[in-house]
Amino acid sequence: MQAVQDRNLKTFLIDAIRWNLRGGLGFQIFRIILFLFMALGIYAYSFQARYGLAVTGMNDIVSWGFYISNFTFLVGVAAAAVMLILPAYVFHDPNFHRVVIIGEGVAVGALVMCLTFIMVDLGGPLQAWHLIPVIGIFNFPSSILAWDVLVLNGYLLLNALVPAYILYSHYKGRKPDERKYRPFVFLSIFWAFSIHMVTAFLYQGLPARPFWNNPLMGPRFLASAFAAGPALIALILAVIHSVTTYKIDRSVFNKLRLIIVISAIINLIMLFSEIFKEFYFPTHHSSSAVYLFFGMDGHTSLVPWIWTSVGINLIATLVLAINPGKNNPKVLLPACFFLFVAIWMEKGIGLIVPGLIPSPLGEVVDYLPTWVELFVTLGIFALGITVVTWLIRAALIVEQNYFDEQKH
Amino acid sequence: MASEKSFIDEIKSSQEKFDNRSATQVRPITQKTVLAQEQDQRGAFRVLARKQAIERYKCSSCHSGAPVTAKKGKELTHGDINLDHGQGGQSLSCIDCHHPKERDFLEDKKGNKIDFDHSYQLCGQCHFRQKRDWIGGAHGKRVSNWAGERVVFNCASCHDPHSPRFKKRFPATYSVPLD
Amino acid sequence: MKPAKPSTNDGCPSNIMKSTSNRRSFIKSLSVAAAAGSAALATGCIPSADAAPSEEMKLRWQEFFKDNYRLMTQEEKDATIDRLERLAKIQDNLDIQMGNNPPLEKVLYGYAFNISRCEGFMECVTACVKENNLDRKTNTQYIRIFEMEPGQLDPGTGDGRYYHKVPVDNRFYMGTQCFHCENAPCTKACPTKATWKEPDGIVVVDYDWCIGCRYCQAACPYYGRRFNWGKPQIPKDEITTRQHYLGNRIRPKGKMEKCTFCIQRTRSGRLPACVEACPTGSRVFGNLLDPESEIRFVLKHKKVFRMKEELGTEPKFWYFID
Repeated sequence: MQAVQDRNLKTFLIDAIRWNLRGGLGFQIFRIILFLFMALGIYAYSFQARYGLAVTGMNDIVSWGFYISNFTFLVGVAAAAVMLILPAYVFHDPNFHRVVIIGEGVAVGALVMCLTFIMVDLGGPLQAWHLIPVIGIFNFPSSILAWDVLVLNGYLLLNALVPAYILYSHYKGRKPDERKYRPFVFLSIFWAFSIHMVTAFLYQGLPARPFWNNPLMGPRFLASAFAAGPALIALILAVIHSVTTYKIDRSVFNKLRLIIVISAIINLIMLFSEIFKEFYFPTHHSSSAVYLFFGMDGHTSLVPWIWTSVGINLIATLVLAINPGKNNPKVLLPACFFLFVAIWMEKGIGLIVPGLIPSPLGEVVDYLPTWVELFVTLGIFALGITVVTWLIRAALIVEQNYFDEQKH
Repeated sequence: MASEKSFIDEIKSSQEKFDNRSATQVRPITQKTVLAQEQDQRGAFRVLARKQAIERYKCSSCHSGAPVTAKKGKELTHGDINLDHGQGGQSLSCIDCHHPKERDFLEDKKGNKIDFDHSYQLCGQCHFRQKRDWIGGAHGKRVSNWAGERVVFNCASCHDPHSPRFKKRFPATYSVPLD
Repeated sequence: MKPAKPSTNDGCPSNIMKSTSNRRSFIKSLSVAAAAGSAALATGCIPSADAAPSEEMKLRWQEFFKDNYRLMTQEEKDATIDRLERLAKIQDNLDIQMGNNPPLEKVLYGYAFNISRCEGFMECVTACVKENNLDRKTNTQYIRIFEMEPGQLDPGTGDGRYYHKVPVDNRFYMGTQCFHCENAPCTKACPTKATWKEPDGIVVVDYDWCIGCRYCQAACPYYGRRFNWGKPQIPKDEITTRQHYLGNRIRPKGKMEKCTFCIQRTRSGRLPACVEACPTGSRVFGNLLDPESEIRFVLKHKKVFRMKEELGTEPKFWYFID
C-alpha cells in the first residue's frame, strides 16, 4: 500500500481491487466457485433472453415466482443493516461500531441482488429506461412499484456512499467528519424501515389478492427481516472472526442474539394472528391459506414446504430464546442458519405463490421453478456474495490498517 | 353501499341523445333489410329481411289451387321439415302459424295477415317478453355495428321457426390447463 | 485475444480463445467473454449471422426510443404506425393496415352478458382469438366461459375447462374477460403508465412502453390480463391484418395484453368480434352515454349485477338474466 501522503481515490480503487484478487488458496477457490455460478447464471439467462419468460415456470395465474420471492426476502435482509446501526449510533456501543461497516456491506450486496432479481424478472428489461422521469414516465405516487424503485435506490446510495466516505477517510489516515455523515446515518435508520414497508405495500395494496390484502403484511415483513437479517449477519461475523484477523467481541453476538430472538418471537406471534384470521371462520378469502397449509383440489405441492418452514422456525426460535449452552456458538450459529432458511422459505415462495393461487376466478395450479430460474437465482446469489466479499474484504483491510496506523 | 357514489349515477343522469352520425367510419349494411313495423326507444329501426333466405318462396307458386306434379315427393310436400315447436305434447301444428288460404303469409291467432319479413309480429304474440326485449336490444343482436342506423337480426335469422331450440353441440374450442 | 462472437444457433458466447499465460489472464479473458456475451444477450434477440437489412435496424432503433403513445403528437403517432407496418412487411412479409383511430366523442362503452341465454358454445372465444391475433401456441384466450351449477355465482365453483356437448341440463354459462373498470386497479399499479383508460372507457396497453413487470396482472381481480411469455405465434393465413396500435397488432414478447373491446372495430362503429360471433345473442354492447342504446335498455329494464362489485372497481361489464 502507498505511503499515506500518496493515497488518493485512484489508489483506493486499485488497492481495493488488488486486495480482492490476492489471497490464500481457500479464498481463490471461493472466488472461482462464485464466478462459475455467475457464468452458469448468465448462460441460463441467455435462454430467457432469447425465448422469453416462457422458459420459466410462471404462467398467467402464477405470474410472479421464484425471482420475486427472492427479491422480497432479500429486501428484508438489506433492511437488517439497521439493526447494527441502531446500537452503534443511537446507543453508542463501541463494539458495534466495529461491525457497522460489515452490515452496510451486506445491505449493499442484498440490494444489488434485489435489483438484479427485478431486472431478470422483467419481460422487457430493455424498456426499463421507461421508468426514469423526464425521459420516461414515472407513475409516482400512484404506483407502489414506483415508490419501491425510489426507496431501494435511495437506500442503496445511502448504504454505499456513507461507508465509502468513512472508509476513504480511514484509508487516507484521517478521522472522518462525523457531522458530515451522521444525519445520513439517522436517515438510513428510518429509510431501512421504509424500504421494507414499501415492499410490503406492493402486495398489501392489492384488493384482488386477499391473502396479501391485510394490514399485518408490513409489520410482519419487518419482524421477519429483523430476525433473518441479523441471523445472516451473525453468521458472516462468525466467519470473519474465524477466518480473518479482524476480531469481533462476544458481546456483539450476544446482543445480536437478543435482537434476533425478539424479532423471531414477534414474527411467530404475527404468524399466529394470520392463521387465526384465516382458519377460525374460513371464508372465500381464506382459500389461498387453505391451499398453502392444506392443499386444494389435489394440489398439495406447497404443504410440506410451509410446514417444514414453520417447524424449523419454531425450533430455531426456541433454541435461540432458551439458549442452551449459554451462548455456545456451536448451538447458536446453526440455529441462526436454520432460522434464516426457514424465513427464506416462508417469506419467499411461501408468500408470493400462495397469494396468486387460486386465481381470481378460482382456478388452482401448481408452480415449480424451472432449471433456468434456479440457475439464474444461483448466479444472482453468487453475484451478491461476490459483491459482499469485495466490499467487506476491502473495508476490513482499510479498517485494520487504520487502527494499526492510529496505534503508531 | 347506498351512500357511495358510482359512475352509474352519472350515466343514468346523462340524457343527451347520442348522434349516431358522429361515428363516421361506420360501414353500411349490405344485406337486404326492411323497416320494422314497431318502434324502439330511438324511433324507427330496420330488420334483416327473410324472404330471400327462404328457399322455396313464393309459396303460392305451388299453393295456388292448381294441381302440382310431385317429382321429389317427400321433399316437395315439406316432409323434410322437423316440426318441434312447443313443450312436450302441446306442440304447434303447421296451421297455427301459416295462413290457411294465402300461403305467402303467416297468420296470428287474431286473424292478422303477417308478412314473412315481419314474422316477429307472429312470434311476439306468444313470446311477448322476448319481443319487448328484442325491440329494446336485450334480446337478439344488431348486425355488424353498434353505431349508425340500427339493423337487427330477425327472429328466424337465429331461431329455426319449426324447431327453434338451439341444438346441443360441441363448443367451438376449449380452455387449456395452465400447468 | 479475440472477443467472444455470438453463435447463430443458441446465442451463447462461444469461441473463447484461451491465451497461453497464467491464471490471472485466463480469468480476465473469461470475464471479457462473459461481459461480451451478456451484452449480446441483453439485446434479447441476437441477429442472424448474415447482416439484417439496415432499414430494418434503423426502424427498430427508432421504435426503441419512441415515446409513450399518450405523449406522442399526431405526427409521431402516424410515423410509428408507418414504421410498424413497414417492419411487418420486412420481417414477416405481411401487409397490414394499422390504424390509430382516436376515441369517438361522447362515447363510453358498456357491455352486458345474458347468463340465461349463453349456451356455452364458445364461438366468442374463437372469434376473439382470430380477431385479436392471439398466440396459438399457448392457446391464449381473453374470454373464459364457465359452466356453472345454479346456486352459486362465483366462477371458482364453475368449470372453466369443459369440453362436451353443450348446453348441459341444469347448468348455466357465464363468460369473463377484461371488464374495463372505471376505477381500475391495474392502471393505478403500472409503474410506467403503460396502461391507462382512454376517454371512451377502454383500458388499453401501449405494448411498446410496457416493461413486463406484471404488477397489473397481480392487481386485476378478474383475471383480465394476459402476458406474452414468449413470442406470439400465429399461422400467417389466420392473421387479422386490420389492426389498431392499441388493439390487435401482434405484440412483442414480454408484454402485457388484454381485451380491448376490439378497439380496431368499435372505434369505427362496428361491434366487437365476440358480440358479432355469439350465435345466441347473449352479448350486448353499446354506448352508455346514449340513453337510447341497447346497453342502457338492459341496465334500465333487466336485473343486472357485476362481478366482485364490493371491490369498488366499477367494471363496465354487467351480467343479466332474462
